[in-house]
Amino acid sequence: MTPSQTGKAFDKLYRDHVDLIYRFAHRLCGEPEAAKDLVQDTFLNAYRGFERFRGDAQISTWLYTIASRACLRMRRKRKGAPDRELSLEEFIPTSDGEFHLQIPIDGLSPEEALQNKELRRALDAAIDQLPKKYKMVLVLRDMEGLSAKEVGTIMGLNERAVKSRLHRARLFVRRQLSAQGLGQAEPDHEHALLG
Amino acid sequence: MAKRHTSGQRARASTTGHQHDHGKSRCLGILRQLSAYIDDELAGDICREIRRHLGACPNCEVFVASLRQTVSLCRHSPVPSLSTVDRALMRQKILKAAQIR
Repeated sequence: MTPSQTGKAFDKLYRDHVDLIYRFAHRLCGEPEAAKDLVQDTFLNAYRGFERFRGDAQISTWLYTIASRACLRMRRKRKGAPDRELSLEEFIPTSDGEFHLQIPIDGLSPEEALQNKELRRALDAAIDQLPKKYKMVLVLRDMEGLSAKEVGTIMGLNERAVKSRLHRARLFVRRQLSAQGLGQAEPDHEHALLG
Repeated sequence: MAKRHTSGQRARASTTGHQHDHGKSRCLGILRQLSAYIDDELAGDICREIRRHLGACPNCEVFVASLRQTVSLCRHSPVPSLSTVDRALMRQKILKAAQIR
């Protein structure tokens, strides 16, 4: 490929996928500036590796893979939250009260519920507190809408491991959301909260 | 299909303290499979068994409802979009960095 062809191909790649990768990066990093750094790192690596892309995966899967690796490198440099293991046992309720932790969105669509800033902040905080290997699976599967197989390809995991991490990540977020008091509101308080 | 409980019924079950008429290990077995259940990844007979359990166990029914809501919130979580200026600026920086190499 001549430099001019590479330039044109890169421009198309960037134009078609920058919004997708920014959305992913923002969900992983939780704030715009770090997300922009991650987008630049991703596309720079894509540019350099463009000729090595064999086309045996979707181009978006290839970019997600580059972004995931770049994110792990960035997080190591920034010494983020320690990557602890989440045990299933820690989410098993030990009392009726723990079973009954609730998210106050009864009767509302998720879009309507997320109009509530407190709930949105609580959700962002809960996702942000996830250890990164669980966060990445949750973001790719539940937020980006990829299949377990695609997530496995991106993260170098088998489907069973993806599903296991996803289940723990969801249980973690549920517990964090409920633990912030959002899930324990009385009915009148719930309406005030969501109003 | 599992019987749906209203918030009032759930609150009553919570305040009166639901008495399990089955072993707690049954609930734990169900909780381990809930993501697969929510994602429709389980065989039909296992799904029917879980639905039967949920219909008889308000604790697990509330648990699965809150887990579903959590997943639903994640799926609909909004995210800011890039401005045209940001898109152009980042492209410039990437191409500049690629040439420095």
